[in-house]
Amino acid sequence: MHHTTTGEKILRGVLITLALVFFLFPIFWILLMSFQTNAQILRIPPSLFFEPTLINYTSLITGELQTAAGSLKLEFMHNLWNSVILSTGSVLISLLLGVPAAYAFARYKFRFSEDIAFTLLSFKFAPPLLVLLPLTLYFQAIGLANTYIGLIWVYQLITLPLILWIVRGYFEDISPDIEHAYRIAGHSWAKTFMKISIPLARPGIAAAGLLSFIFAWNNFVFALVLASADKQPVTVGALAFVTASGIQYGQIAAAVVISITPTLALALFAQRYLVEGLSLGAVKG
Amino acid sequence: MRRKRRNWLPYLLSLPALLVTIWILIPFFTAVYYSMMRYRLSLPHLKGFVWFDNYLQFLTDARFWYTVQVSLTYTVLTVVIELVLGLGIAILLQRSTRFNNLAAMLLLLPLMVAPALAALMWKLMTNPNFGILNYFVSLIGFSDFRWASDPSSALFTVILVDVWVYTPFIMVLLLAGLRSLPKQPFEAAALDGVPKTFVFFRITLPMLMPYILTASLFRMLESIQQFDIIYAMTQGGPGNTLTVFQVESYLQFFQFTNVGRSAALLMVLWAITFFLSNVFVKNWLRLRERAHGVEAE
Amino acid sequence: MFDKEKDLIDALARRQIGRREFMRRAGQLGIGAAALSGLMGQAMNRALAQNGDYDWKQHQGTTLKLLLNKHPYADAMIANLDSFKELTGMDVTYDVFPEDVYFDKVTAALSSGSSEYDALMTGAYMTWTYGPAGWIEDLNSYINDPSKTAASWDWEDFLPGLRASTAWDGMPGSELGSGDAKQWCLPWGFEQNNISYNRPMFEKAGVEAPADMPALMAACEKLKGANGDVYPIGVRGSRSWATIHPGFLSGYANFGEKDLINDGGMLKAAMNTDGSKAFHRDWVKMIQEFGPKNWSTYTWYQVGTDLGAGASAMIYDADILGYFMNGGDNAEAGNIAYAAIAPNPEASAPTPNVWIWSLAMSSFSNNKDAAWTFMQWASSKEHALFGARTMDFVNPVRASVWKDQQFLDRIDAKYPGYIEQFETSAPGAKIYFTPQPLFFDVTTAWAAMLQRMVANEIGVDEGLDQLAESINDQLSQAGLQ
Repeated sequence: MHHTTTGEKILRGVLITLALVFFLFPIFWILLMSFQTNAQILRIPPSLFFEPTLINYTSLITGELQTAAGSLKLEFMHNLWNSVILSTGSVLISLLLGVPAAYAFARYKFRFSEDIAFTLLSFKFAPPLLVLLPLTLYFQAIGLANTYIGLIWVYQLITLPLILWIVRGYFEDISPDIEHAYRIAGHSWAKTFMKISIPLARPGIAAAGLLSFIFAWNNFVFALVLASADKQPVTVGALAFVTASGIQYGQIAAAVVISITPTLALALFAQRYLVEGLSLGAVKG
Repeated sequence: MRRKRRNWLPYLLSLPALLVTIWILIPFFTAVYYSMMRYRLSLPHLKGFVWFDNYLQFLTDARFWYTVQVSLTYTVLTVVIELVLGLGIAILLQRSTRFNNLAAMLLLLPLMVAPALAALMWKLMTNPNFGILNYFVSLIGFSDFRWASDPSSALFTVILVDVWVYTPFIMVLLLAGLRSLPKQPFEAAALDGVPKTFVFFRITLPMLMPYILTASLFRMLESIQQFDIIYAMTQGGPGNTLTVFQVESYLQFFQFTNVGRSAALLMVLWAITFFLSNVFVKNWLRLRERAHGVEAE
Repeated sequence: MFDKEKDLIDALARRQIGRREFMRRAGQLGIGAAALSGLMGQAMNRALAQNGDYDWKQHQGTTLKLLLNKHPYADAMIANLDSFKELTGMDVTYDVFPEDVYFDKVTAALSSGSSEYDALMTGAYMTWTYGPAGWIEDLNSYINDPSKTAASWDWEDFLPGLRASTAWDGMPGSELGSGDAKQWCLPWGFEQNNISYNRPMFEKAGVEAPADMPALMAACEKLKGANGDVYPIGVRGSRSWATIHPGFLSGYANFGEKDLINDGGMLKAAMNTDGSKAFHRDWVKMIQEFGPKNWSTYTWYQVGTDLGAGASAMIYDADILGYFMNGGDNAEAGNIAYAAIAPNPEASAPTPNVWIWSLAMSSFSNNKDAAWTFMQWASSKEHALFGARTMDFVNPVRASVWKDQQFLDRIDAKYPGYIEQFETSAPGAKIYFTPQPLFFDVTTAWAAMLQRMVANEIGVDEGLDQLAESINDQLSQAGLQ
């Protein structure tokens, strides 16, 4: 892997640059738009040059939107907070439930193990629309409609299968020998699991946790159908800038930028686990 | 040896996850029941149980078969393109350097934009008057490219957005997989002067296969149920070009309030998804068995 | 509140002083615009209370919850809500959802039978589903009950076309507002579909606002290229009912064409008549030659944005869309003017199909009488005046508000032709669709077929024959044929 020719290096550089341009240009453009007024965004032809303004951010953060129709109240920061609660809550619970289950499926062959694993995966098959509408009826009956707990429960359908199946793969790639050695040294199963198995699978857990966080964050149909306005996440909140008197592209762009920030922070935090790959290779031996 | 005696531990570990999610079967079976009803909210007096009528109607309905076809086309194209691109980028970034790690992190950004909002932004960027992408393609001579609004380029456009949003998903899973592969086989191959293409196809790819399968399985699950991007960009148009399952059943439910037909459509989608996932999981297990052959016995 | 301000506002409310004089004196007292609208709402309240024909306090202590669409009409109501609370001693909470997802939320909430919401905003077309589904109340029992409704509320003051358009007996294909029709909702604000155009661009091209379809095509011909890349006319084109109902159906109806005909209790598609085919040919040609390039993705937003940003020279769409584009930070703010259009040269007057934002009462509400108190207030003359004079609640449904000089002066000063446009077309303004439970199926299929015609995938005649056939199929499957 280490002896690459100059030609290869150049090719590599060109390809990486192309990938970065394709995937990052729209983000860059959204970032630029977030510093423009709607009038600046809607210029013909579009232009890179503009006088930056912070108005989109200030109106989102202070909750006051100045439009042709006067000043409007915005719930954006509240929506952001809802997203944080819903996504964090869902991912934590999914990790708590999913990681041990993933370990069980990876390490033990037990009766119905594959059936249970597949059933858990299959909850991802059901199109949300299919279950949501009957669910509204039942949620109303048992009083879970319009609660964070009810929503986090439903969010398990997004986060749990993802965590379970991704983490399972990582556990399977870790040789059980180290665990054996640790157990033979007289440690309990629980201690082995916490001290050896989880740290070894950490890149997988980090990747799965981050990805499921992102999917939970990006969802909007669950909250839309099951909860009232005060429980809506940013994805629904950002649509409020699609107003009868025009789409406020600047504010949507700023909303996108703000709504990316927590996820990005989480990704940066998870990065050292995520991309380091640890010393797994050596461990597998 | 640990599998010889009855061990309750695995049940203890896995059943909570099942218990928390199994309740979904209740609304699911309610929906199965709906799918066997003639049930339009706007025509309540015609409500009734009709067994498989809704499904039987599909058999002779050309629109339905087109929905199957376009959903599968969309799924295959997005999954394959994203897999190839995601794998390519993961390989480019395989070495853990500061630059590569930063690039990997930045490449995750598109995934963090909610698809519904991403589609709104792409719609603006491809607008013939204000769109920057439209401006770029007009600079290179395609002044009349109509993106999502023309039947010939609509599928291309929504796939482009899907690829933009979801390639990073595959990339990050495969990158983590690549980096956790054991080093010895590669070092041995390098010492023996084995050609790189050979190493890639005979060592890297087979070892990565379980990760590839997991990543494409989850992409497939999302892709065949794609709604946000397609609906926000075209609402299933132009004409009926992009009437994939979710768009069609969404319209059937929320616009036409035809609960019976909507549920039946979704059940067909569920069946297709179930079948495809089974294929994926079977293969995944087979690969796992092979990789861990000794332990699994 | 200080007495001086109070007196001043009451004087205005009683029309003792004019708006200009009022603004001058308000300025002297140092009252800002925002404070003014609040004060005026309270003045309206006093007027309501003084009518003395309704006990506004009878549901004191009740809490209502509303389901609202994010819209300037809702904003105007929310801005005035404190005065309602003060007037009635009731509390009101509300959920506002973005328009993009609003009707999905309504369907989800009502289909689940949730008693959470007492009243909601709706469009008239939607009540053709909600009504038969049993989700909303027939309001006739309230309107016609003197013990529940103030005499001064004056139902007769609502424009007759709108009263009829929001009433339906629930029989597929029967006439709106006929004999025993149920009043599914109260009209609140409405939109007529006419021409909004860019005056400087029209002047540059040397054209006048077109009065009919041939004139429209001729004007488009001249506008093309007259202002750089600006395209002549914007209309909606997305695969949705929303493409059919504005300019398209208004023009279509002007030629006497129908969506469906009621043939002795049997509904039949009527889009494949010769007259319809001729109109479709013109419409398709108009889009292909003079419309936006990405027409098939065009919704309310794109049509409006293009006019406001100077990418299009005119739109054939809701008058209020043109109104919005004449203000705010739109590049063309101040350049937009309005004109009524009767596409058929033989027609005596325009026939704009209308969108009616309305208020409906949830059948699942536990506070129906209290909800009615709210609906009465929100649709009262007093609130309509408040919204029309100080907010963007500018397409009032009450004849009396359209005679309010203060409102008329305000609009006329900045929106040239808006009032004339309204007055010319109001007599013919109503819903031109046939009410029936498959409204959304039919209009979506229609829009999809239009898209195929514009993309030259199918000829107009063949396309309409196919469309009619598939709609007849659907009608018979649903048991309507």
